[in-house]
Amino acid sequence: MPRDGKVRLGALDGDLRVERDSEIDVEGRLAVSGQARFDGNAEVRGDMECGSFRSNDGTVRVHGHLFVHEDLETRDGAVEVDGELKARRVDADRGLLVGGPASAERFDVGGRLEGAQSLTAKKVSVGGRFRLAGKLTAESVEAGGSVDLREVELDTIEVGGVIRLAGGIVRRSVEVGGKFTSDAPFEFGGLEVGGIANFHDSAKGGRIEAGGMMNADRDLTFEDLEVGGFGAIGGNGKGHNVEVGGKFSVRGSLELTGKLEVGGQISVGEALTGSVLDVGGKIDARRAVFTGDAEIGGAVATREGLKASRVSLRRKSRATGPLVGGVVHLETKATAEDIYGEMVELGDKSEARRVFARRAVVGEGARVDELVYTEAVEMREGARVRSPPQKVANLPPFPL
Amino acid sequence: MLDGAPGTPRRREVSDLYATVLEVVKHYHGAARITRVSYGAGMPVDRLRHFIGRLLSLGLLKSEELDGRAVYDITARGQEFLDTYWKMRGYIEVFEQAPDPEDRRVRRR
Repeated sequence: MPRDGKVRLGALDGDLRVERDSEIDVEGRLAVSGQARFDGNAEVRGDMECGSFRSNDGTVRVHGHLFVHEDLETRDGAVEVDGELKARRVDADRGLLVGGPASAERFDVGGRLEGAQSLTAKKVSVGGRFRLAGKLTAESVEAGGSVDLREVELDTIEVGGVIRLAGGIVRRSVEVGGKFTSDAPFEFGGLEVGGIANFHDSAKGGRIEAGGMMNADRDLTFEDLEVGGFGAIGGNGKGHNVEVGGKFSVRGSLELTGKLEVGGQISVGEALTGSVLDVGGKIDARRAVFTGDAEIGGAVATREGLKASRVSLRRKSRATGPLVGGVVHLETKATAEDIYGEMVELGDKSEARRVFARRAVVGEGARVDELVYTEAVEMREGARVRSPPQKVANLPPFPL
Repeated sequence: MLDGAPGTPRRREVSDLYATVLEVVKHYHGAARITRVSYGAGMPVDRLRHFIGRLLSLGLLKSEELDGRAVYDITARGQEFLDTYWKMRGYIEVFEQAPDPEDRRVRRR
């Protein structure tokens, strides 16, 4: 077809070559058995089917469905399809806009990929922006820019810039350079975000790694959670291990089966449970119960208490709220309020308000307001107990 | 193009543009052609050449010839820039949010 041409076409046995600024009115369906090639802008009014599709330097608009038996390729051009698009492989330099459902083994788009309905593929690769209003089903998705999706069912997704999705499942990994946001319930294998991860609804997955900030408005279930900067869970958190370098807060409870390591600051509105606790910074919870050791290098504050098989307050650390343990050990200059334990060891110059223990050792220069014990107490040089230590037959019930 | 922070749109700084170009180049795993990067970054080729030249001179990008054409790839330093950039964007977003009541209590103390 010469440039600026306008024709009516139906079935065509062989190749079709269309020069720039041409218009084709389709009779029934434009069926090209060979290659359809477009140079420059063109309009196809109706449904089109071809062996292969190639366009150069322009935008081809198909006002109907487009079915390509082999590959759809554009060089320095874009394709817009009002209806459904089907091809074996799609490779578009500048952009692809599809009004209906789109499916291909692979979509490679340099600029912008937009779809108004579903998209199904094995692999989707977009250099710039990818937006889809329907469900996305694929094995892998990669984008250099930003991605805005509704429901997804994927194995992996890797985005350089920003991902926003309604929800769904990513079975293996989500990797985002910049920012991840999910608006509906979301399930994932692992999530690695360089900047910010936002879950606006409940989320469940494996390892979560957020370099900058992680925020979950509702419940979050995970395997391991590592937050380098700031983190917050608006509901309850449940997982194996948590490592917080910065500041982390949980409005509800945080239930762990493994270790909680806090270099910075963690605040839990309700109960905190786990096996091992290691706090270099500050921890704040309504109650904290650990089945193994709890080591506090900074500060711990609870309303109902901290319980562990062994509680250790390192040098100069502070505890507010009861401490309950098999063994409770305060190092030099550590301070605590009420302490309950089978064995309580107060280091030199440490301070406690009340101690209830089977056996107790009060270190040099240590101070206690009240000490109640059942078996033995050892007072080192300069140790002071405001009221004389009281030996009883039975200790009061321990909290927690 | 990379989005700004939510709420009022953030004005794109020059560092955002460099990050955009680096992310698009990285996406092509060592085979980024300038036209593809131009479409991905939403930037005309002549303007993009300036950005790519700067990124090459700073050692954040490297280039080589493939089938007689220049292709670009991100360097370890470029990746380091991106990691730092996104982390910093995360922190900036926190600072731009209203402070929580706990922070206000700490300030009053």
